Amino acid sequence: MSTASVQCPKCKTTLPDSAFNLPDFLPCPGCGSGVAVTVYPAFFRPPESGRTGELVMSEGEASCFYHPQKKATLPCEVCGRFVCALCDCVHDGKHLCPTCLETGRTKGKIKSLENTRTRYDNMIFGLAVLAFVPPIIYISFFTSAAALFLMIRHRKSPLGLTQRSRVKFYVGGIIALLQFLGWLALGTWLIARISNGWK
Amino acid sequence: MAEKEYIKLTPVRQRRGVAIITTSRSNLWLGKDHLLAVDTESYTESYKRFYFRDIQAIVLRKTHRRLIIAIITGFFTVGLGALAAAINDTGAHWFFGIFAGLFAVPFIANLAYGPTCACQLKTAVQTEDVPSISRVKRARKVLARLAPLIAAAQGQVPTPEPAPIAPAPAPAPPAAG
Repeated sequence: MSTASVQCPKCKTTLPDSAFNLPDFLPCPGCGSGVAVTVYPAFFRPPESGRTGELVMSEGEASCFYHPQKKATLPCEVCGRFVCALCDCVHDGKHLCPTCLETGRTKGKIKSLENTRTRYDNMIFGLAVLAFVPPIIYISFFTSAAALFLMIRHRKSPLGLTQRSRVKFYVGGIIALLQFLGWLALGTWLIARISNGWK
Repeated sequence: MAEKEYIKLTPVRQRRGVAIITTSRSNLWLGKDHLLAVDTESYTESYKRFYFRDIQAIVLRKTHRRLIIAIITGFFTVGLGALAAAINDTGAHWFFGIFAGLFAVPFIANLAYGPTCACQLKTAVQTEDVPSISRVKRARKVLARLAPLIAAAQGQVPTPEPAPIAPAPAPAPPAAG
């Protein structure tokens, strides 16, 4: 028997164990909506108890860098600081201290902790395509310049986690480049005409 | 060629209820030891990882979305088709006919994709909506694909130990006399 429960997504009624892992939908006892619940072994596992650091018993015993009163259990694999059981963060089989874990997350060094990324390819492509919209076409010199700047600035920035090609990035960049060159050509032509006295 | 880190499990779908207001889209990818839910909002992507060892349950609930889509697209298909047939003008005939066809495509696709559902994924500490699983057929495929991976990560369901069988009471001695 499990201590966890599964609720109907609509009415929040707790679904009985008899509704689990059935091949078809069953009506929810609360609202009558058809629900199908697939439970996995983790559902039946009792919740793990949290770890607590052991207190330092004798003078000279290695203590945790973050909790001097707690006994050190192992060093952080990145910075080497001693950590207690409470501060020992196991990630991908490595034992890290909370600071290294946080640094790895914020600097994007630990890929599996990344939870957001900016899609520069979408940004560049969006700016390039936006320039064809009638009111914006008159300021497309600036949008194309911005797209080119982003392309150069972020040519080595990572794309989305699930993305495998930079096609959109470069297609957007090429469109923006053509727009920019078009504006330059227009500007050159206008300057030439003006200097010739509009002849 | 480098090995693909993620395999696409579901197509991109608008997050329910905010489709008109925002461009938030969601889809699901299969990683080596986890599911990756990707939410894309204009120029940023946010990720949520559900490790196979932590997934406790997946709950599907049937919804009426298929019926609603069928009614709306069916209404326009039939209405515009009837108009195209009724008007005796070649231009109008083609105009309404093409529009009827444009509504007929989602009408037929909606029927072909099968019943709709809402999906929730439960772990010990969270219950997360998975908007990209919106059809029962797709959900069944995803569940079938996940089952061996989750089983490998979590092992088998512990079967409850059978209660010890109490010894049968000794037959009462025959009454003397």
